[in-house]
Amino acid sequence: MADIANDVFFAAIPELNARLKSKEFSAQELARAFNSRLAQLGGRYNALALPLPQQALRQARDVDQDIKRERLRGPLQGIPYGVKDLLSLAGQPTTWGAKPYAGQVFNYNATVIDKLAGVGAVLAGKLSMVELAGGGGYRYASASLTGPGLNPWDRTRWSGGSSSGPAAAVAAGLVAFAIGSETSGSIVTPASYCGVTALRPTYGLVSRYGAMALSWTLDKLGPFARSAEDCGLILQAIAGGDSKDPGSAGKSFYYTPQYARPLKDLKIGYAPVDFSQWAEPTARPAFDAALGVLRQTGIRLVEAKLPPFPYGAVLSTILAAEQASIFESLIASGKVEELADAAQIAGLKASLEVPAKDYLKAMRVRRLIQEAFSRLFTEVDVLLAPGRPGPATAIDQPLDRGGPTAAAAPADPGFRTIIPAGNLAGLPALVLPCGFAGDLPLALQVVGVPFSENLLLAIGKEFQARTDWHKRRPPGV
Amino acid sequence: MKLTRRQLAMALTSAAALAQTTSGPPATPEDELKAARDRVKANGAALDKQDVPMAVEPAFQFKA
Repeated sequence: MADIANDVFFAAIPELNARLKSKEFSAQELARAFNSRLAQLGGRYNALALPLPQQALRQARDVDQDIKRERLRGPLQGIPYGVKDLLSLAGQPTTWGAKPYAGQVFNYNATVIDKLAGVGAVLAGKLSMVELAGGGGYRYASASLTGPGLNPWDRTRWSGGSSSGPAAAVAAGLVAFAIGSETSGSIVTPASYCGVTALRPTYGLVSRYGAMALSWTLDKLGPFARSAEDCGLILQAIAGGDSKDPGSAGKSFYYTPQYARPLKDLKIGYAPVDFSQWAEPTARPAFDAALGVLRQTGIRLVEAKLPPFPYGAVLSTILAAEQASIFESLIASGKVEELADAAQIAGLKASLEVPAKDYLKAMRVRRLIQEAFSRLFTEVDVLLAPGRPGPATAIDQPLDRGGPTAAAAPADPGFRTIIPAGNLAGLPALVLPCGFAGDLPLALQVVGVPFSENLLLAIGKEFQARTDWHKRRPPGV
Repeated sequence: MKLTRRQLAMALTSAAALAQTTSGPPATPEDELKAARDRVKANGAALDKQDVPMAVEPAFQFKA
């Protein structure tokens, strides 16, 4: 049996695939190594919801037979990965991270799991998450069936939510990549806090069939990985039309960053205040340096402003109304009281009281938001902002507290609301690790027009060719 | 220092945000529910201020 060196757990997908094809190790050996690592370290970060060692070994055995017969299925063949525990896997528990659903088992697979099986990826485990993906609004990181998501860079810090497990597991090298979800920030935040590359795809590009619904008009699934290139390869495998998802855009995706426009022809819109004032002081040097790297690529950075809308109120109203319908029986039955977070329980109950007129108004304003972003993207090609203004928060810090004091708050809002704004408009976002504040990672988010993933990935690939932040490893792993 | 109305509004908004960030979490489930209901109402009030032409229909068939 081949020894699996520690660097393998942090290798990018093309390298892992090449080493499998060259028979440096077999898919079964690789699966065993990741199974062992996931079992050994998953609990250390509260990142593991359900190990799937037998399933992984069965899939890996099939991959070895395929490789032996030269039935090659692409770069993900034989690569161990994990999924957020809101994706159903037939016959296995799917808890949605919440006690009321601890015994839940579906008899079908999520479409993304079937698609990844089709290209030979090896499912090693289900990964932890904030309960109900944060529906209702949680106050503490401990709002999860598996406990608070602990950050591999510093276990006294939060891994971010709601895709806590996917971000932490990739950062700690417990899986080669992971699938998470975002309704408003659940990919961008944990990827930023854990220092991994991640992609929130355009709404409708990836089927959500078999995923827990939180908001039918906002939910997206996307990859956490080691690089922009890895995200492109994964997206190519999981994107595509699906008649079982009413929100499906019916589009495929082919990872072809080489055909994106030359970077020197691009204009990036950004708000300097995000980096100079809204960013936490310890984060500013790294953000400044990252902006410098982008300028070196020839990209022009130009000042821009987000269209002025009450994004938070619009998103909260749409989310509240849709989650109220989705979780009506949970709330009405009283089982909502089993959730871990008091704010979330109250938020779900109160969401039943959103007036129909408010939901409709929010959806009408949303149309205006989409139109305004279309106009903005005639002036700039992409938008740039910090993934988060600072590093991961302390594990026990209330999430509805903190931020700058009124005296310190700049008058210019910058792109502070780009997460709800981007989600309301269905825009894709790429998260790129860009440095550190102390020992904790920071990230940029690059946001584009719908279905501009290849452009975002081309920018990311160039940024990562000039930096090594995405290759850094947490201490002790 | 003379403030424009926009700057004043921003300052007041920031002050409100500060008030939220410095007070402790609600003490009882009833207080928590009241706070959540207040947020629903505040969101509705923010939406009420948005002027939307009649021809703008809700994004029911949401496509990015």
